[in-house]
Amino acid sequence: MRASDDRVPSQRSVLERILIRSWEYRHLRFWAGYRIVAGILVAFCGVATLWVGAYRWAALFLVPAALLLAFGYWEMTIAYRLLYAPLPQRVRELEQSRSRVVDDSAAGLRRIERDLHDGAQAQLVAVAMKLGLATKKLGGMVDGTGQTELDRVLELVAAAHRGTKEAITELRDLARGIHPPALDHGLGAALATLAARSDLPVELVIDLPERPSPAIETIAYFCAAELLANAAKHSGAQHATLEAAHVPGLLRVQVTDDGTGGARVEADGGLAGLAERVRTVDGRLQLSSPPGGPTMVTVELPSHA
Amino acid sequence: MRIVIAEDSAVVRAGLAEILADSGHEVVAAVGNAGDLLAAVAEHRPDAAVVDVRMPPGYTDEGVRAAIAIRRDHPKTGVLVFSQYIETHYAADLLGAASGGSAAGVGYLLKDRVSDVDEFLEALTRVAAGGTALDPEVVTQLLAASRRHTDRLGSLTAREREVLALMAEGRTNSAIAATLVVSERAVEKHVANIFSKLTLAPSDADNRRVLAVLRYLES
Repeated sequence: MRASDDRVPSQRSVLERILIRSWEYRHLRFWAGYRIVAGILVAFCGVATLWVGAYRWAALFLVPAALLLAFGYWEMTIAYRLLYAPLPQRVRELEQSRSRVVDDSAAGLRRIERDLHDGAQAQLVAVAMKLGLATKKLGGMVDGTGQTELDRVLELVAAAHRGTKEAITELRDLARGIHPPALDHGLGAALATLAARSDLPVELVIDLPERPSPAIETIAYFCAAELLANAAKHSGAQHATLEAAHVPGLLRVQVTDDGTGGARVEADGGLAGLAERVRTVDGRLQLSSPPGGPTMVTVELPSHA
Repeated sequence: MRIVIAEDSAVVRAGLAEILADSGHEVVAAVGNAGDLLAAVAEHRPDAAVVDVRMPPGYTDEGVRAAIAIRRDHPKTGVLVFSQYIETHYAADLLGAASGGSAAGVGYLLKDRVSDVDEFLEALTRVAAGGTALDPEVVTQLLAASRRHTDRLGSLTAREREVLALMAEGRTNSAIAATLVVSERAVEKHVANIFSKLTLAPSDADNRRVLAVLRYLES
């Protein structure tokens, strides 16, 4: 078999092929087929009418002919749209969002690896170096080959102790960035912790009668965390409001601040990253930030992803 | 010895400088990226450079490439590359690029080894003197990966395998004898046995025999 033969089936994506086999799509195709046949028949009648009109009573036949042709054209356009427009477009959207999810998680893992490598891991290597040096000095003191310099050993051990504590803090922050433990007690509790830890005074308005799915809770949490951090860092705000409401099927998280406004969704910026993450679950992010403020960011997510 | 350090993490750089200074060595420059490293080596002509693998701007293998460049342009400077992970192919790149293909004056260690101060200093001294220092982890990985030679490696006794691993790390016969608490004569006998069992041409120079063993394990 030649190589070119192998490529033919892959012209359609896997997702597309699955969708094409689905019952909904067959149903759609049936009606599209029906409309094509109807459209052709009507258009044929239109042409026949026109043909008859060409011989006599032209004006009388011209109007029905035009109507029949227009109707046939309309039917066929609908059939075309049914068949080709919406489904492949949806497939494309899904494929894009899927690749965004993959990119997002790969980038997330890379970030964690970098944070570990540059943070706690480096810190612990430095601690091991200090303890190694202290051990060498103590060993020299014990067997009498080295100088007695207890104050230097104390200094080394104290520095190692400090380094260990810094590494513990870094690991704790990193772990919290992967999965905030507060989320185990529900989004409301996690957002309350977040608001309490924020550098800005945050007013909390929570209306969450039911819990969304864990994936949605996690995305909502990280959106709120990033938005509050933005408000504290960039807007010059004195006060922020964090609202979270869950109505059947929809979770809405809104962060409003009384800062200077003028925020924009810039490519590769924090807000664009959030919008991408939100879109992976078919949610959306809206930004309202006129110059002079206030800035309001609304994130809407489906309850279940 | 006069030493240049290249390491992007400030805490590790400071720890390393502390250990070296404490052992009576002179740290002539401590830099944070590969470009500054090459400049510092060209300026100071140190006896050895201790180089981190991952450095700005790309955070990939800047250190390895800089080490190869140093070995090419300044043959008198030994280079000890160290990193938080061991990538066996970096070891091969480094040894292959060493001057004249003799694996001279290069070392590759895990950062953790620095905390065993005496062993680290010994490895650094060896590299500065034109010897080789390979992390035991590299040797373990090579031994585990060389499935093709399982039968022949299997014909080695447990003691001979220990000697093989230490030899691959770049240690001299006397150092191997001290580590295993046996006589140097015994080590020489083990080495001869290893070379004949693996049908390698015997070699006296430590660097050449490291290379021979590594080529054997990699092939």
